[in-house]
Amino acid sequence: MKMNRRDAMKLGATSVLVAAATTVSGCAGSEAKPEAKTCKSAKRNVLGKRQVVVIGGGFGGLTVASELKKENKDIDVLVIEKNETFMSCPGSNTYLGKLNGMTLDKFMFDYAKPVEKYGYSMLHAEVIDIDREAKEVHTALGIIEYETLVLSPGIAYDYETQFPTWDKNKIEHVSRVAPGALIAGGEHLALDRLLADMDDGNVIITIPAGKFRCPPAPFERACMIASYMKKEDIRGKVIMLNPTDNIAKGAAFKEAWGELYGDMIEHIDFATIKDVDTNAKTVTYMYKEAQPVEDKEMDEPVFKMVEKKISYAVLNLIPNNKANPVITMADVEVTSDNFHKVVMNGCSFQTKTDANVFAVGDVVAHAIPPSGQTANWAGKQCAKEIAAQLSGKRYILPVEKTTVAAGNVCYSMVGDKPEEGILVTHDFSWNGTIITGKGNVPKDAATGKFRSTGTAKALRDWYRGITSDLFS
Amino acid sequence: MDRRNFLKVAGTTGMLIAVSPSTIGTKLYANDGRLYTAYERVQLIDADGNPIKASALKKETNYVFNYPYRSTPALLLNLEDATQKNVTLKSEDGQEYIWKGGAGAEGKIVAYSAICSHQLAHPTPDDSFLQYVQKDKKTMSYETSGVIVCSSHLSAFDAKKGAARLSGPAAEPLASIVLEVAADDTIWAVGVLGPDKFHDYFTAFKPEFKMYYDGKRAAKKLVKISAPTVTLNEYTKEIIQY
Repeated sequence: MKMNRRDAMKLGATSVLVAAATTVSGCAGSEAKPEAKTCKSAKRNVLGKRQVVVIGGGFGGLTVASELKKENKDIDVLVIEKNETFMSCPGSNTYLGKLNGMTLDKFMFDYAKPVEKYGYSMLHAEVIDIDREAKEVHTALGIIEYETLVLSPGIAYDYETQFPTWDKNKIEHVSRVAPGALIAGGEHLALDRLLADMDDGNVIITIPAGKFRCPPAPFERACMIASYMKKEDIRGKVIMLNPTDNIAKGAAFKEAWGELYGDMIEHIDFATIKDVDTNAKTVTYMYKEAQPVEDKEMDEPVFKMVEKKISYAVLNLIPNNKANPVITMADVEVTSDNFHKVVMNGCSFQTKTDANVFAVGDVVAHAIPPSGQTANWAGKQCAKEIAAQLSGKRYILPVEKTTVAAGNVCYSMVGDKPEEGILVTHDFSWNGTIITGKGNVPKDAATGKFRSTGTAKALRDWYRGITSDLFS
Repeated sequence: MDRRNFLKVAGTTGMLIAVSPSTIGTKLYANDGRLYTAYERVQLIDADGNPIKASALKKETNYVFNYPYRSTPALLLNLEDATQKNVTLKSEDGQEYIWKGGAGAEGKIVAYSAICSHQLAHPTPDDSFLQYVQKDKKTMSYETSGVIVCSSHLSAFDAKKGAARLSGPAAEPLASIVLEVAADDTIWAVGVLGPDKFHDYFTAFKPEFKMYYDGKRAAKKLVKISAPTVTLNEYTKEIIQY
């Protein structure tokens, strides 16, 4: 059961084992007790030194790890990931929609296969601090020293800024009874259970303000939950409260909402959630309401903020997103918005702050969409940069010179029976400051509509492929 | 002519060892591990069992035949433009090989394994994500068409250059099917050149093999003597192309 220092370093390692046992100081006698608490800072529990340490075993981090081993199998790579199993966020709305065959096992993966196949190693532990000066990552199991560090920790929720009046207990309570389900795992199971248990009534989805992971996710989720309600003969609506009028793939989603679900799906623009009463099952929100204009000469419509209240049967409160606290621990330069994305060193996935620290995935301050496919692309580029740097060279990202066509492709499922999907592609290019993505949402030439059954099939094949890229 | 439309080159050293066509025998094919494998010599026939004639292939049309295994689809194309000769290609693990160019009188007939080198998308009887996009059509995955596109993750491959990767997440070319066009205009498939994906494919699609090929064992049987060749429209119900 208990993992000692040696086991932690051995997990899946096929290559170099770094002096795991010999660098220990002071904690040798503490093995019978829980590890984390026995090693105060005075008694340093150093697990060993690794050439490249990747924090986060998701789409970005795992890609960096496997691509580094492909670049050069002698590069010593350790992935630190707190979870022992992986659940995919991409595709998971089809699980909530109970689409044919999209059961939990399609979204869960073990790390054993990729670790064995590529030969990186893995430590399941929570990161609690990063000391860039000493080049150390402190985990609950002990300290790992590194030469090169990759930050791919994903997102965290920012209830605190969004709901300044809520105390810790209320935040925890709401996160249990109205899960966000933008971080895959237990939250998805909880939301799925709430949907399974619901009687007639409305499902409310609140859209985060600011940048957030997978921008089309809430809008796809509305389609999937509505299709589930239809199948289960649940009478009610899916209502989205959106603090802005921005909808990723907006025209394509609106087409699907209107034509497939009619009144069943409602999207309210400029509606900012203010509070939740979980006993009464109501949400209060501020709504920017257009006022009747008396003076017909006036060009600008007049708006007034009004408070509204709405009841729900199930609430999917997707909180505002921020970079995972690992970024704060790393103390690298971040953007000034509430998300705090990592500022990159030009056309690169190296951080601006530290030449030995890289970042990929949700936390990157390039203007490329935070999707599984983008993380996969960024992971491959990042691995090439690191491999070059380790051998004293420099890798120039091809995107600096030429546009990467369809660097991101992102599908959303909008219908069931028949399954129909929509997609967006982004062409990546370098604008001199950051890497940007130019979106294109195509229509089906034959039907003139955004959605098609073919795109739904492509979504399924995309998902199969991208998860095999990481796990088989 | 066109008995050999490829040359073998050696591993990762960068030194190219061109093997003279006359010295390549079946034995050497079989010994050449990953880069070139000789399979059954198989004649391409139409749905009625008549031999396909090279000169009768429609231009820029996706034809599909299963080769070298019963379940592994390949694309056959008669391109409008000339193919490039002696293209040096590289597999993801760094091995180089040379693709010699198209077959047939004009040298414009090519065949590639239709299993995407990225994540194995391929034509099935129900749908197809991987095919040649004609020059008058548009694709989202590359600036020009007249290329092979996998619309699952949007990789593009150069049909004129041994299916070299042009764009997208794929890291290596599609494998080539080595063709011979005989003096009587008949077309024969003889082997597979480049990094094939058959092993991964057989691992990944067991439910599909049950559905289409009577199970995994039947799916792994070699195609022998002849391979029925049809247009992609006949092969699959739905072509998905971006």
